[in-house]
Amino acid sequence: MSQKSSDNGASLSQNGTSAYTFTKEQLAEIEVLKTKYPEVQAVTLPVLWMAQDTFGHVDPEVQRLVAYTLDLPESHVHGVAEFYTQYFKTPKGKHVLDVCTCLSCHLCGGMDTLGYLENKLGIKAGETTPDGEFTLQEAECLGACGYAPMMQITNDVYVNHLTPEKVDQVLDQLASGDTPDFESIPMPLVSTTSNNEAAGGSDE
Amino acid sequence: MAEIVIDGIPYSFEGKPKLLDFILSKNKDVPFFCYHPSMSAPANCRMCMVKVGQYVKNRETGDYELDDQGERRIRWFPKLQTSCNMDMMDDMIVHTHETDDLVKRAHKDTLEMILINHPLDCPICDQAGECPLQIQTYKYGPEGSRFEVKKQHKPKHVQLGPRVTLDAERCINCTRCTRFTDEISQSHQLTITRRGDKNHPTTAPGTVFDDPYSMNTIDLCPVGALTSTDFRFKARVWEMNQTPGLDITNGKGVNVDLWTRDNVVLRITPRHNPHVNEYWMTDKGRDAIHLYNEQRLSTPAIRLHPNDSSLVMTSWDNAYQTTQEIVESTDTKQILVLGSPYASVEENGAWMQFSESILKQSPSYTTHIEKESGDDFLLVDDQAPNTYGCELLGLKKRTKAAFKKAVAEAKVILSLHDDYIERGWLSEEEIKGKTWIYFGTNHTQMAKAATLTIPITCAVEHTASYVNVDQRIQRTYPAKETKYTNRRLDLEMSEGRLDRFGTKFDHWVNEDHKVDCKPLWEIVGDLSLLWGHTLSYRHGRDVLDALASNIPALEGVTYQAMDDQRGILLTSSETQEASS
Repeated sequence: MSQKSSDNGASLSQNGTSAYTFTKEQLAEIEVLKTKYPEVQAVTLPVLWMAQDTFGHVDPEVQRLVAYTLDLPESHVHGVAEFYTQYFKTPKGKHVLDVCTCLSCHLCGGMDTLGYLENKLGIKAGETTPDGEFTLQEAECLGACGYAPMMQITNDVYVNHLTPEKVDQVLDQLASGDTPDFESIPMPLVSTTSNNEAAGGSDE
Repeated sequence: MAEIVIDGIPYSFEGKPKLLDFILSKNKDVPFFCYHPSMSAPANCRMCMVKVGQYVKNRETGDYELDDQGERRIRWFPKLQTSCNMDMMDDMIVHTHETDDLVKRAHKDTLEMILINHPLDCPICDQAGECPLQIQTYKYGPEGSRFEVKKQHKPKHVQLGPRVTLDAERCINCTRCTRFTDEISQSHQLTITRRGDKNHPTTAPGTVFDDPYSMNTIDLCPVGALTSTDFRFKARVWEMNQTPGLDITNGKGVNVDLWTRDNVVLRITPRHNPHVNEYWMTDKGRDAIHLYNEQRLSTPAIRLHPNDSSLVMTSWDNAYQTTQEIVESTDTKQILVLGSPYASVEENGAWMQFSESILKQSPSYTTHIEKESGDDFLLVDDQAPNTYGCELLGLKKRTKAAFKKAVAEAKVILSLHDDYIERGWLSEEEIKGKTWIYFGTNHTQMAKAATLTIPITCAVEHTASYVNVDQRIQRTYPAKETKYTNRRLDLEMSEGRLDRFGTKFDHWVNEDHKVDCKPLWEIVGDLSLLWGHTLSYRHGRDVLDALASNIPALEGVTYQAMDDQRGILLTSSETQEASS
């Protein structure tokens, strides 16, 4: 509808004067991203990531910038940003600690870990420390049930088999500016020979 | 021709219809929430499950494989399928809930799942009585729920826009509303926010849902989540009458349903007409309830002295005789008769006959077109519902300048409907000193400035036809009683529960809701008697029959034909293409 699209355009240009802007380099990168997908809608996700990396969050104002940059409806970008917990819809601390409290972690002491962190940082889950260093969040299953209890640091590295000592160590590491290393934990495997034998036995 | 077997009955079909569409077209029932015939089918409510299979054919010979009993072997799809997005194929076997217990079980379980977080407060819900969720739970739902913990609570009475209020708890996330704004009105204003058990539709932060078609989402909503800010909690559906009608707020001729209770139009909803408006209507058209209910002219009124500031009520007889006196004491050259594109074909026709036989002149009319106010959907530039009807009858069209000149030269003016003052075509100064007899429905500025006002029935009180911008003639039905009509005697009027079982002494009945007005054809009939003429029309049908026999374009146009064909296109498609 011609009338509506012009209305839309007006409101978007109004939003162009948002407090946030993408740099020229970023805009060029977005153009490259657009060529990688059949539809512009699909570029919403990488551009939201880019925005979050730049501004630290994707609050409504940033969502508006993304919508304006991609010429997409604001509601679409809002819906996408709200769907994924990894996008921060409000400003967060420097480090976001997502402590898993879903079933496996819960059974292995996830809630204890969360409680320990709450006491140690003096905040409740969902809050940020006054110095803006840490945000503590409760997360649903992060797919690491084998290493429970665990937490994820700022949408990035997983810290596994958490104990109070390990939590202390991680916090110190983060405070000093380091990020914990990726830990490779081999899954306990059943011996292949006995497995073969069992399979062979049932076949015969 | 491809063949499909549904519940053991073979049907043949062509093309690639969707399974749900086809089953519904065979008058069979399959429950669904998210599917809508004019929008995409995301199959997210999971309600329209059916069991689907195909006959197994031998790839080499092409023969059907048979089982031990000699029956054709069927290869069932591994799981139940949603029929709304299932393309039909040749040799398909479909079992609906009528023949398959698994499908029945699936309906039960899906409903149990949908109802987990849906409040069970139908008695206080606005949608109750016209709620697909309520109906389908009654028909297909489980007897109880295994969910015994606290329900998820979501925001209540959220004002999404000026006309739509959301109760997020009731939402079952069928996404019909977001698909409407994406696919039909294309304003893209709604989206589903959050995820899991907390999700519900909303607008982007800082924006309002002010789409000019926003209220269609209320009709689409299969539950009581989206409600009309204006109408919510005003009436229960089973207390209202539903009468077909037309939207007269612009020239598109949108088909509507008028919902009345005790002769008050409480809401207007779109009525499906594939030729005009599909399933939709404008928000502006729904505002017409105020036009029908409020500020109505009731009982003729007269200005006793030219300097009086207001008009006083008078009797019908006095109004008629005053009209006669005024007309007879004036030279017919000084009388101006104005028809109106706001009035129906019948009204303009009767008006024209009256004018030609008694006032010896043909009425003229002016169009009310506001450029740039239309879009290519249901809003059009033409603000009046019957501009083409006036043209068809051969009324003389006047431009604004010609109209102003004619008014300046006339001494006595008889006009219909149009509010020239509000439109800015005339000022009250220009009317001063003139005798203006206004035949209208509402207390417009024109009525306030007139010398004599005679109340006529509006589009919801009589049967009359209107010709829309695409030259389709459609008709209305009486939905509201006047002082002189009666639901029980007029077989065209619908009778609701309160009308049928109530009396006029019941506390819910207010006689004031009936307006003291008459159809224009009756009024001009009564008036012409004073001159010894007999224009006796008792019903819009009489006028239309008389017009149909005189005007070639209206040949064969009857109410019956309009009802059967959902309106009649008055021009052949070739001439229409040529003109556009």
